[in-house]
Amino acid sequence: MRLRGIALRQDFFLHYGRQLGTLAGLLGLMVVLWALTPHFLTISNLLNVAEQATIIAIIAVGMTFVIITAGIDLSVGSVLAFSGVVMASALHQGVFLPLGLAAGLGTGLLCGLVNGLLITVGRLPPFIATLGMMSVARGTALMFTEGRPISGFSEGFRSMATGELLRVPTPVVIMVAVYVVAHFVLKRTKLGRYTYAIGGNEEAALLSGISVRSYKTIVYGLAGMLSGLAAILLTARLNSAQPIAGMMYELDAIAATVIGGTSLMGGEGTVVGTLIGALIMAVLRNGLNLLGVSSFIQQVVIGSVIILAVLIDMALKRRGR
Amino acid sequence: MKKDLIGVLLVILSITLMSCQRGSEQADGGPRIALVLKTANNPFFIDMQKGAEEAAKKLGVNLIVQAAEREVDVEKQMQIIENLIQARVAALCITPSGSREVVPAIDKANRAGIPVVIVDTRVDPKTLSEAKARIASFIGSDNYEGGKLAGEFIAKRLNGKGKVAVLEGIPGHETGDSRLKGFREALKATPGIEIVASQTANWERDQGFNVFQNILQSHPDVGALFACSDLMALGAVEAIAAANKTGQIVVVGFDALPEAREDVQKGTMDATVAQFSAQMGAQAVENAYRLIKGEQVKEEVVVPIKLITKETLNSSEENK
Repeated sequence: MRLRGIALRQDFFLHYGRQLGTLAGLLGLMVVLWALTPHFLTISNLLNVAEQATIIAIIAVGMTFVIITAGIDLSVGSVLAFSGVVMASALHQGVFLPLGLAAGLGTGLLCGLVNGLLITVGRLPPFIATLGMMSVARGTALMFTEGRPISGFSEGFRSMATGELLRVPTPVVIMVAVYVVAHFVLKRTKLGRYTYAIGGNEEAALLSGISVRSYKTIVYGLAGMLSGLAAILLTARLNSAQPIAGMMYELDAIAATVIGGTSLMGGEGTVVGTLIGALIMAVLRNGLNLLGVSSFIQQVVIGSVIILAVLIDMALKRRGR
Repeated sequence: MKKDLIGVLLVILSITLMSCQRGSEQADGGPRIALVLKTANNPFFIDMQKGAEEAAKKLGVNLIVQAAEREVDVEKQMQIIENLIQARVAALCITPSGSREVVPAIDKANRAGIPVVIVDTRVDPKTLSEAKARIASFIGSDNYEGGKLAGEFIAKRLNGKGKVAVLEGIPGHETGDSRLKGFREALKATPGIEIVASQTANWERDQGFNVFQNILQSHPDVGALFACSDLMALGAVEAIAAANKTGQIVVVGFDALPEAREDVQKGTMDATVAQFSAQMGAQAVENAYRLIKGEQVKEEVVVPIKLITKETLNSSEENK
């Protein structure tokens, strides 16, 4: 343990430097947008961007944990849709609000745990297990609703998206809370340390007595539950739960994670980096909308930024070694 | 490391500047009106955009056209609308990706004092009134009537007897739902006709191919197909060709896309319901412009709808 502690400390500057790099990218982007349009750097627009980042940012927290274990979760978007429609129909049945929310979170957790068990007990590659879940969860959501959205909720529920705390939109407050907790878990708890250890070298983790199976399952469960949380916020935001919601959100979440410096090979990454990654994507989309850039060019720009971010990350890593 | 960072910033800067140039190349000075499409890669909406751009040029309007990457992504559409509100456009024209889901975004525009013109897809009136949101004007075609025209045409072609399959759009989209309702209503008059399969192909061409291929497997004796959009119909036409059944199945689409017109001319499709989306786009910009000027506009503008068959294609030029 002590040895690994030292190794981690040596890595610290590397991590720190890379996060600074991503942060500098975000700030640079903001400076450019500030120079180009008067509508970008206003408090209302910045809050608007933060709110738009929440859904992907929250899913990306789970994705970060999963990717640090050297796994991948392709099912988060579908699980979001499934959790959303389960919660929505519970609320429409007149279930007590907290219970309805629990149904949403629980559905997500359950799907995530199934992913985890398929990977650990079933020994399926994460790509395959979650690819299957992606289709199963989506199909179940469509069956469950007969393809139709479930809409119209109480003011109380909708305040999850429309409310404000000291002028900050509730979803942003929730997102920040999730990141604070996730950062603490990743850096200060056994679960966090084991997550890195499993991703760094699964064999070694196993030999040093870590119950790799349980911790991996927990990590996938966590990712599922966070999709459930994102489903609550998305449903409140649109006042509607759609079985086709969240399509391809997994790709946005992976992009945010990777831009934030988490390695797809596992073993390294931070949630702070992921938050910056999610914000970069949201700021980019916002800025391109403000400037009235055609939606086709937007896709080219976003894709280029993802590639660039990872290129730089790899260059930094090579120099660090 | 510093070098890298500067490199990235320069690249991002140049990309953004480049694209910004594109964005501002339209006429400056005039009021800024935004048109938010469901998607920018469907011929129907491309025509709408063209119509809107022409009208904008005439009126001296600075038109911004935006669309989400995926047609079904209502959340992205909401983000685009929020961002345009932040950019303080003078008016918003929206083709809703979801009849209900668009309402919170309309509400936000209302609060910012930006008039909203809805195009093509109707907003769910109940959700709208519950949210106390308002739209200034709706521009669209009578999809119900269009579905009915298609139903009557198929009933006539089958001589009142036979099996019919339907390719639906994305469930919950008002346009597709209305077309379907009109179609079913028309067939009620002819009890000899039975709808044996009615499945969604999500407005997409490749899904139209796959779904109809499957329908042909389970109902090889199907006599006619009504697809709620031409893209799905064109996919189905390929499936029919692959099954060597070209000419044996009456195919009716919706939207009268250029490719569908060609197929009607060739005889691989029998009819398509024409909606004049360019006209819708132009009308939307015009109404938005008049709203900015403080003038009154009609609450609802119905753009005519028309059944295009080989006969109408040959008899007149006005269908172009």
